Amino acid sequence: MNASASNQSKIDNRQSKIPLDWLSNIDEAIDVTVMAEDVCKFYHEGQPNEVRALGGVSLEIYTGEYIAIVGPSGSGKSTLFNCIGGLTRPTGGSVFIDEIDIAQLDANELAWLRCRKIGYIFQAYNIVKVMTALENVTLPMLFAGVPGDEAQDRGVEILKRVGLGDRLLHTPKELSGGQQQRVAIARAFANNPAIILADEPTANLDLKTGAEIIDLMRAMNDEQGVTVICATHDYKMLDVTDRIVWMEDGLIRKIAKRGEIEIKVDQISD
Amino acid sequence: MSERHWEIKKLELSYDVVWSLALSSMKVRKGGAILTALTVATAAAFLMFLLSTPRGDSNAEVQSWWLMLSLSLLVAAVGVLNAMLMAVAQRYREIGTIKCLGGLDRLILMSVMAEAMVVGAAGAVTGSVVGLIVGVGVNWASGGEAVPAGALPLRLVMVLGIALALTGLGAAFPAFLASKMPPIEAMRGEK
Repeated sequence: MNASASNQSKIDNRQSKIPLDWLSNIDEAIDVTVMAEDVCKFYHEGQPNEVRALGGVSLEIYTGEYIAIVGPSGSGKSTLFNCIGGLTRPTGGSVFIDEIDIAQLDANELAWLRCRKIGYIFQAYNIVKVMTALENVTLPMLFAGVPGDEAQDRGVEILKRVGLGDRLLHTPKELSGGQQQRVAIARAFANNPAIILADEPTANLDLKTGAEIIDLMRAMNDEQGVTVICATHDYKMLDVTDRIVWMEDGLIRKIAKRGEIEIKVDQISD
Repeated sequence: MSERHWEIKKLELSYDVVWSLALSSMKVRKGGAILTALTVATAAAFLMFLLSTPRGDSNAEVQSWWLMLSLSLLVAAVGVLNAMLMAVAQRYREIGTIKCLGGLDRLILMSVMAEAMVVGAAGAVTGSVVGLIVGVGVNWASGGEAVPAGALPLRLVMVLGIALALTGLGAAFPAFLASKMPPIEAMRGEK
């Protein structure tokens, strides 16, 4: 592991970290939901083709925050995202979710964490093809041990909330891309998670549908107070976020709150 | 940082969910299910046919009987292995997604096994009945010495058991592969 690079990144992060008073207009105390400490990820470690995907990233994400991670392809944003979501084990450093170091969890506990504390929204929707919209939404509740009837009722309620009250028994084949992403959003919110991880959720959608999905995610974030972490290329998404994290070459280059930057259609500037 | 207000727990396996996953997967991938069932059915039919027609007593006849028997079993096991590997490969992203939602390794393992066993059982029953009818029919038409009718039920049960065991054997490796698939696979591949 490249120690100097990771130290440099720590310094970068310290310089760019937003002081806690940036949310001073909110009455409640600010809680940290996700804390990444010097997270590194190397592929093919020690081999000639070693790749550094993350070079020591430290980041605090506050409860109820809507945060966007942006950066070019290969900048490490997906890897950071996967480390936070417990999908990849970091090579070095730690990820804490509500004070729990997820590296310490065994496979079953990790599955519990993914089931109860994290909701995933994918670029390609990832609706389970063999199931209806309602079954897709109830699945994580059944995994969590919610009784069938209760899961069914809540599934109907959430699908109505995302505007699919009339599509409950449709399979993915019978749903448009935007509708499938709405199912995925309903499914991600099913177990009242602490965090929603969304990986480029609007990348496969047209502009108008993408905008609807962005509005829906922001509205659900406001209603439920859930922390939303979103990897994105979509400038419209940045417009609704609280903070934006720029990544490049596996390091955080800059963190800014939305009010500090000006978003234009084709560029972002200070 | 605030006090943690929740405790890590363990997830329990729900057999209802195992069944519903296996059944819905079968419904949607009918082609694959039929292929698996046909493979098992062919082997069971052949085995039953061999067991419902009298075998010659010469060394060469006994040897060729055993050879045919072993080959049919081998072909069936490899066929099930192949069909289930295909079924699992088609579901890479789906399995990854289910694991992202909190699906346990055991849940995936059992649902793939359950799917294979249900399809295998359908194939085994169909195949062994067809094999029995053809065997007895050929025997009767050729007017040769018949296998005692009393021995047939036991042989039928034996063939069913062997066919199911073969299905389990062929499906075990694909099911294991599926269960160990990392959830990150959900991010990969296209629809």
